[in-house]
Amino acid sequence: MAEPLEPQAPEAPEAPAGPYVYDYLAAPNRQVVLPKTVPLPSLRTYQAEVAAAAAADEAKWQKQLADFEVAKAKAEAEGKDAPKPPVRAVPRKDDNDMKTPWPTEAKAADLLKLQELLGDKVEEIFEQAGERVCQVKKEAILEALKVCRDEASLKYEMLADQSATHYPAAKDFAFSIVYHLTSVSRHQRLRLRVLVPEGFLPDSACSLYPSANWMEREIYDMLGIRFANHPDMTRILCPEDWEGYPLRKEYPTVGLGQRDIDFRDDRGGVLNRLAMVKAGQMGINLKQPKAE
Amino acid sequence: MGVNQPTALEHVLITTKVEKVMNWARASSVWPMTFGLACCAIEMMAAGASKFDFDRFGAGIFRATPRQSDLMIVAGTVTYKMAPVIKKLYDQMPEPKWVIAMGSCATAGGPFDSYHTIQGVDKVIPVDVFIPGCPPKPESLIYGFLKLQDKIMTSSIADRYKDIFEEVG
Repeated sequence: MAEPLEPQAPEAPEAPAGPYVYDYLAAPNRQVVLPKTVPLPSLRTYQAEVAAAAAADEAKWQKQLADFEVAKAKAEAEGKDAPKPPVRAVPRKDDNDMKTPWPTEAKAADLLKLQELLGDKVEEIFEQAGERVCQVKKEAILEALKVCRDEASLKYEMLADQSATHYPAAKDFAFSIVYHLTSVSRHQRLRLRVLVPEGFLPDSACSLYPSANWMEREIYDMLGIRFANHPDMTRILCPEDWEGYPLRKEYPTVGLGQRDIDFRDDRGGVLNRLAMVKAGQMGINLKQPKAE
Repeated sequence: MGVNQPTALEHVLITTKVEKVMNWARASSVWPMTFGLACCAIEMMAAGASKFDFDRFGAGIFRATPRQSDLMIVAGTVTYKMAPVIKKLYDQMPEPKWVIAMGSCATAGGPFDSYHTIQGVDKVIPVDVFIPGCPPKPESLIYGFLKLQDKIMTSSIADRYKDIFEEVG
């Protein structure tokens, strides 16, 4: 005997257990997707890409021709009309297409002079959008900077900027350090570049350009590249007790645990430690002797 | 003749509570601390300048030291490196002291849902008035300050005692 179907009561929405708390561990900007490409501008890479594209295009055209021959022979055997011969596709031109400027052969006298002076220590020279780039071996960066600064025909007196990039997909050159040099007397600019793997200590440029001091500290702070022979290799932007390097690709934008810190307490005992140090300098003993 | 006619003595005397006089004095001369962290500070300066004239409410004297100020207007983004400094400055201010969190960044982190920004200055110090806006206009700051004046006028020493000495949930 079947029970009469009871009308089902609509399910009441479950009351939240507590106040609404934003789950930042599951936040979309906490999730990290490592890039698989290395968008490092380079003449050699560009030429290889162009050659590969041309080869692919040529292979496609040859296949089209071969297909046409087969189809023609088949049509002749069957007594039908011959198929239309293929037309090679011309790459489409778009005047409004915005393309990034591609690297070109180095023609600037400065770059050629650098290559002549440094010889095989130069890995690559090219120009891109009117900017000169010289990539040198990572052990020879100090020598290259010295040549740029002291050579009478170069005279790059100023290190305008120094920065670094992170390419996690490139194993043997995970980072690139870029030196933006400016010649005030000659109104010229030049970019030096080194590619370094993880854990490599490039030479500090502080002995040649004192302005490199803080910029190298910033690179260390943001990307974790330590420099050899730097006078003060400490963090400059982040707090002293920061964990991780925020500009690395594997670092989530929301941060690694910093949200959990309650600032009403002393985080990590750093303030307490600093207070101890300060008090010690002033001759005050903050550590009260314990009565045993 | 009217029974409730004030006497001659009541024409010249005002009776009130000491606490109310103290609150009135405090609310009418709140000295803020110069504490601009980001772009909100520009609006705070505009509020202090002649067009809006913060001084009409007794809050025009921006002090450069926490030891002479009663009010900390946290105007701007609070980073993790700045947080211990804010805490230290707040601790250096003498009682009674108040805090206004001005702008989206100081109230809730603003657009910087990021690794380096504290999501609201109330994680570091207790806040009396939150002013939303990015940045809030000087009118908003003045409105928030008037709200703070109301809060000061209705406060009592007993509340303060409770705040300081008793455990708050």
